[in-house]
Amino acid sequence: MSSSALQNDAPDLVCQLDNVQGIVDALSSVRWKRHQDAVIELSEHGFVLIVEETGCLQAKVYLKRELFLLYEYGAAEGRPRFGLSLGLFVDCLNAFSTPGHASVIEIRYPGPDMQLLLKSVDSPIACIYAEIRTRIPDTISWDYNFEPTGNIPVSFTVKSAVLKEAIDDLEWPGSSIQITLQPEPPSVTFRGEGHGDLQIDFSYYANTDLLIAYQCDRRVSYRYKYKFLRATTSNIPSSVLKDNRGSKFTVGQGGMLKIQHLVSVIRSSGQHPHNDAGGYQQPSRIAYIEFFVKPEEDDDPVNDS
Amino acid sequence: MKFKAILTDHGVNLLEKRFVPALDKIGRVCQLYLTRDHAIFLHNLLSGNGVQSIAQFRKETLFDDYRISSQNDDRIAFTVDLGLLHRALRSSLSIEGGERLQIKLVKKLPAGSTQPMPFLTFETKGYKSAVIQDVPISKPLSRSDVMELQSALDMAQDIPQTLVQVPDLLQLQNLVDRLKQVGDLLTVSISQYGDLHLQVSTSLITVGSDFRKLRVLGVQANAPPGDQDMSARARTEMAIQRGEAQTVQVSVKHFAKSLQCHLAKPDCAFYGIAPQGACLTVIFQFFIPGTRQTDKSISLHCRLPVLDTGSD
Repeated sequence: MSSSALQNDAPDLVCQLDNVQGIVDALSSVRWKRHQDAVIELSEHGFVLIVEETGCLQAKVYLKRELFLLYEYGAAEGRPRFGLSLGLFVDCLNAFSTPGHASVIEIRYPGPDMQLLLKSVDSPIACIYAEIRTRIPDTISWDYNFEPTGNIPVSFTVKSAVLKEAIDDLEWPGSSIQITLQPEPPSVTFRGEGHGDLQIDFSYYANTDLLIAYQCDRRVSYRYKYKFLRATTSNIPSSVLKDNRGSKFTVGQGGMLKIQHLVSVIRSSGQHPHNDAGGYQQPSRIAYIEFFVKPEEDDDPVNDS
Repeated sequence: MKFKAILTDHGVNLLEKRFVPALDKIGRVCQLYLTRDHAIFLHNLLSGNGVQSIAQFRKETLFDDYRISSQNDDRIAFTVDLGLLHRALRSSLSIEGGERLQIKLVKKLPAGSTQPMPFLTFETKGYKSAVIQDVPISKPLSRSDVMELQSALDMAQDIPQTLVQVPDLLQLQNLVDRLKQVGDLLTVSISQYGDLHLQVSTSLITVGSDFRKLRVLGVQANAPPGDQDMSARARTEMAIQRGEAQTVQVSVKHFAKSLQCHLAKPDCAFYGIAPQGACLTVIFQFFIPGTRQTDKSISLHCRLPVLDTGSD
């Protein structure tokens, strides 16, 4: 029984979710400014929301089908993509979340005029609905194919709370931040030079709680614009910090930085469960967030080859 | 011109805990209009801009030993700052052993001034001390201004033909607070079937909320068959065509303000559209404590200015 008589064919997507706040948290973590365009790509496995800035920063939120109560993917061919305003999408989802009440929302695409349609479906006599206009997405301006370097990818995992604090502190020198990883002694250095110098070292041996994992077989060092690094942690949801989760950094080919966060998408009515070690949770209740940051172009890179 | 009365404990509680905080959300400054039988707090009745609110109390509800006299048929009206009024009420409550809170209209010479100014004086006598607080007020309104206020008040008493009861004020307030993020203009439709439909729409987004089968007061009708399968917008349009619904546009901010009246702890709230879509009216109902009977000695209602009739 379809509520919309206007559509002849099955819509590309009909899904229902009961964890609005978690989805809002996940989407907000890639919202680094008020007006921000996003692209949503649908597939049978879930959907991905992609945001981008000036060809230097890209973020993706993966919402897998397991996060939804119902996920009906009906696109005949290809993966449908559409653009929309991230801010409106988040504000709109917020309108559906009532504190202390887990409402079930249905998301449907496309509407009669290619809109994204949302409505609450838990009560027959009180319903909230929304229609968000979508647009044809721009082609992605650069290729974010992330390629690891060598046999062992250069990477480390750090407590998300510590990472956020470090990046917040680096605001003072500002401008650009040099990130250096070296095998001996194993450590990560963030160094900012601008109005002054500030250097933050994460040493693998100094504090076992700090770096949860560390992989580096040669020294690498690249500079990144501060504002892009900041965007990767500025809106990290408080649940990530409370759950004591880690964020993973990987340095790829040419210095491309990949930062991954995990956000809990549990039911809005429940409390965030507290986890001690590493914050293990059912993988089906996690949204994956990825940021890709391009390095600044350096005249003389100081990397061992 | 004289006014003197004892504020009862119930009166102080009613004002301090409920009405003054609620009215303060509508606007910091309001008019207090005192007549032989009533004390009435009024917002924006003469200016015509913003949310109009009328909170009326029968004198016995708030006062004992109520004495008023003026050459203008024993009516006095003046402007008062609700923040200051609230503070005076609150501190009068803190006086240990304070029993009688007298409220009085006075003229005093403030420090450093040569002109006497009008004040509303609150005097509490405790066992060991007495506290006198002066709340500055405007000069009492002239005879013609009071006449104008009275006729505006009379005009504001008309009740919409159809009123629907809001299910949960707090939940609605929560929703409207979020709708404020989306746009400024709220379309409100009310049908005789008990539908309340709220919608904010911009060129990029439409967000709405649709409540159905609400309790209806006044003119009501049965929803046409098949109506439950239609979208909220289609149902509203059809009801308007059948002359069984009305729609108006108001400011989301005004609507949110009107919902703040839940601070006065009403027992129920009804929305209705005045004839010809002149305004959106919300009427709050108070029960006699412990009963389901309307307490007629207290009334509170707001009128929201309509920004557009909603018809193209």
